[in-house]
Amino acid sequence: MDSEDPRSNGDGINHVSKKPKLSSFITESEIREEFSHHSPDVARINNGSFGSCPASIIAAQKGWQLRFLRQPDDFFFNNLQSQILHSRTLIKDLINADHVDEVSIVDNATTAAAIVLQHVGWAFAEGRFHKGDAVVMLHCAFQAVKKSIEAYVTRAGGHVITVHLPFPVSSNEEIVAEFRKGLASAKANGKKVRLAIIDHITSMPCVVIPARELVKICREEGVERVFVDAAHAIGSVHVDVKEIGADFYVSNLHKWFFCPPSVAFLYCRKTPISPDLHHPVVSHEYGNGLAIESAWIGTRDYSSQLVIPQVLEFINRFEGGIEGIRKRNHDAVVEMAQMLAKAWGTNLGSPPEMCPSMAMIGLPSKLGVFCDDDALKLRTHLRDRFGVEVPIHYQVPRDGEIGSTDGDGCVTGYARISYQVYNTLDDYIRLRNAITQLLHDGVTCQMLQRE
Amino acid sequence: MASLHPHNGTTNTDSKPKPKPEPITESEIRSEFSHHDPTIARINNGSFGCCPATIIAAQNRHQLLFLRQPDHFYFNTLKPSILRTRRLIQTLINADHLDEVSIVDNATTAAAIVLQNITWSFFTSIFNPGDAALILHYAYGAVKKSVQAYITRAGGHVIEVHLPFPVRSSSDIVFEFQKALHMGKANGRKIRLAVIDHITSMPCVIIPVKELVRMCRDEGVDRIFIDGAHAIGNIDIDVKDIGADFYTSNLHKWLFCPPSAAFLYCKMSDELSNLHHPVVSHEYGNGLAMESAWIGTRDYSAQLVLPEVMEFVERFDGGIEGIMKRNHEKVVEMAEMLVEAWVTELGAPPEMCASLAMVGLPVCLGIKSDGDALRLRKHLRECFKVEVPIYYRAPVEGEVGSIITGYARISHQVYNVVEDYYRFRDAVNKLVKDGFTCALLTK
Repeated sequence: MDSEDPRSNGDGINHVSKKPKLSSFITESEIREEFSHHSPDVARINNGSFGSCPASIIAAQKGWQLRFLRQPDDFFFNNLQSQILHSRTLIKDLINADHVDEVSIVDNATTAAAIVLQHVGWAFAEGRFHKGDAVVMLHCAFQAVKKSIEAYVTRAGGHVITVHLPFPVSSNEEIVAEFRKGLASAKANGKKVRLAIIDHITSMPCVVIPARELVKICREEGVERVFVDAAHAIGSVHVDVKEIGADFYVSNLHKWFFCPPSVAFLYCRKTPISPDLHHPVVSHEYGNGLAIESAWIGTRDYSSQLVIPQVLEFINRFEGGIEGIRKRNHDAVVEMAQMLAKAWGTNLGSPPEMCPSMAMIGLPSKLGVFCDDDALKLRTHLRDRFGVEVPIHYQVPRDGEIGSTDGDGCVTGYARISYQVYNTLDDYIRLRNAITQLLHDGVTCQMLQRE
Repeated sequence: MASLHPHNGTTNTDSKPKPKPEPITESEIRSEFSHHDPTIARINNGSFGCCPATIIAAQNRHQLLFLRQPDHFYFNTLKPSILRTRRLIQTLINADHLDEVSIVDNATTAAAIVLQNITWSFFTSIFNPGDAALILHYAYGAVKKSVQAYITRAGGHVIEVHLPFPVRSSSDIVFEFQKALHMGKANGRKIRLAVIDHITSMPCVIIPVKELVRMCRDEGVDRIFIDGAHAIGNIDIDVKDIGADFYTSNLHKWLFCPPSAAFLYCKMSDELSNLHHPVVSHEYGNGLAMESAWIGTRDYSAQLVLPEVMEFVERFDGGIEGIMKRNHEKVVEMAEMLVEAWVTELGAPPEMCASLAMVGLPVCLGIKSDGDALRLRKHLRECFKVEVPIYYRAPVEGEVGSIITGYARISHQVYNVVEDYYRFRDAVNKLVKDGFTCALLTK
């Protein structure tokens, strides 16, 4: 982001500073302070679930909250809409959207999914889609999205096709091949595929999906519309919505973009035949376009949507801005993942180039993660006994496949570690030692108590 | 309304009754609301409510708990905290079962939940095209849009019931509603849903909902939804006594919660399992209350401070009942002071006013449209530092003489002082004296 160089002659030309301003980058100590509200007792390596928010942004948010409380009518009539428009404009530039109309701000990806899927529900109700028309989703789609598909597609008479992607995975080509296969079999049954929902970064197991290629395949195979669920994407991978080419694209700003809970953008590509999407919470602005509808859904606290300018300022205190943060997060999480894999004698679930700021590391098979419940018990135990916060994934072995193994058996459990600017090496050493300790004590998931 | 006072024998979560706190002083009240813009005469509590400093602080504590360790908060704290709020509401509104009480963002969201369910009924042919929904003409704008989005679009017919305003008594309302109900059912039309305000927003009047609900039942209306957005903390609510199928009210308007939180009461029935929050998440199918308690990562803190709010209201003499009583008396007193000063009239008799009152504005101000009302409101805000919503009451065919076409909806909440209303009185007097008309604002 260009900034006016105060040493310029005031000639109105924007002088881009060429020298790296080392002294003005945020320091380690300042970062610690920004996240000093995080529990110091916890090795916090689950940024993926709920994100994180620096103290400066919390303070900025509080400022907005108080402005509303101070004189809500004035805020409502004179400030709110222009501030939301400002946020939307900043996001549009971040994601390379053409028009600000294409950018709506909503609470979270879950809400965005409801918006897109409710539209599908209406299409069935109003006869534009026919009973048996299909929606394609990934097998590892986020659980909330799966439920939303059940609520709006299955309930309306739509057919749901699930595409299984391989995990562990070793290349994009594997993903592409499986997706092509899954889509082909959908079409082989003569189903009209009305919508494909593709994750940009799957949640569990966590892998960067070659979304652009998959969108292209969808277009080639005549899928009517494509919705990319990129909940984790912004702030962790490069996001260019035009390049990806989907009809709908959502990402949460509170996960990797330092916003407070919660705020997300839903991008809806403008075309001559853009569908009519509505926010399900209908208020005064109904019919004025999704972005305007979403900017007023009744009295509530919109403050998390207003701090985006302050967040951009925060990000630019880091060398390289958001690109720098992304790169360093990625490099660090890969380094930590490799350290853990080596310590435990296991492997990463995907190659480094398919990891965002998170990585899946195989857990020693001796821990005996044999079901989702085991994974949850282990996660709880790590939190309660070791003060380590990390989500655990149980990978169902696919028919006929052995999957990954270590010296002792099949690796069916994976830890999804994350790296964000507040993390330190110590966090991962604690995880490493916790698992080593469990192995040393001969602990298996079966032995752990259910909460 | 069921009271939280231990002597009523209501279930109290504490084992020992707390000693009654010292009553809050005027100075403490000022302190609690010191974040309000001190230059404004704030007489519009109805639109956005208010939140005392103690509660803002409580909310911040909950927010920080989440930010500090969100996983722990999510797995161990959030659900029990929402459950606490639901139990308090259950007691406050006299609901039979806890399952009947869900917490949502606001009445707008509650409306979407109830109305989306109607859409499904049309879609699955339980209801037929042309089946009707009945709403008040004075229904809140957002609710009307929701009815359009979910009912009209699904093939339903919408009947708007015109109620008189100004109004002289509840029986005027009952009479008009009865008429509209009969007309609505003419030609064998089936009325599937009635949406009735407990306190209409604009113009603001208490509706005799109990009678109207009974009438609806007598006339075979399938479902009745009471939009009580303004009600809780303003008037008594006894959902069993009212007898509706659905009832919603905002906690941030008159019950001191931060923006925003509301409850949606859904009477136990077979239909209950078909009600869903439109934002579908992990809890889909586990009941509306469970679904509403997790609709993705967001800030739920406004829903968690009701225990602290109940402590806050207990600092006032008579608790929430005392607050309601005094607000009502004060707003009527101020309203009568204003109509006397301006030589106008109240839009409704005191018994149909809660903590809000519709005060006629001098005819010479020339309020001739909704636009005029909005511009006058802006003018009062900017030039006189008075925040008060203005209602345009269109002349009805056949009316003769000088008709009041503009009403101010004044409110009284614990932070108001008599000077707020004097300032409004003097502002209007000045406008009249200066020969002001709304036409001047469009130049």
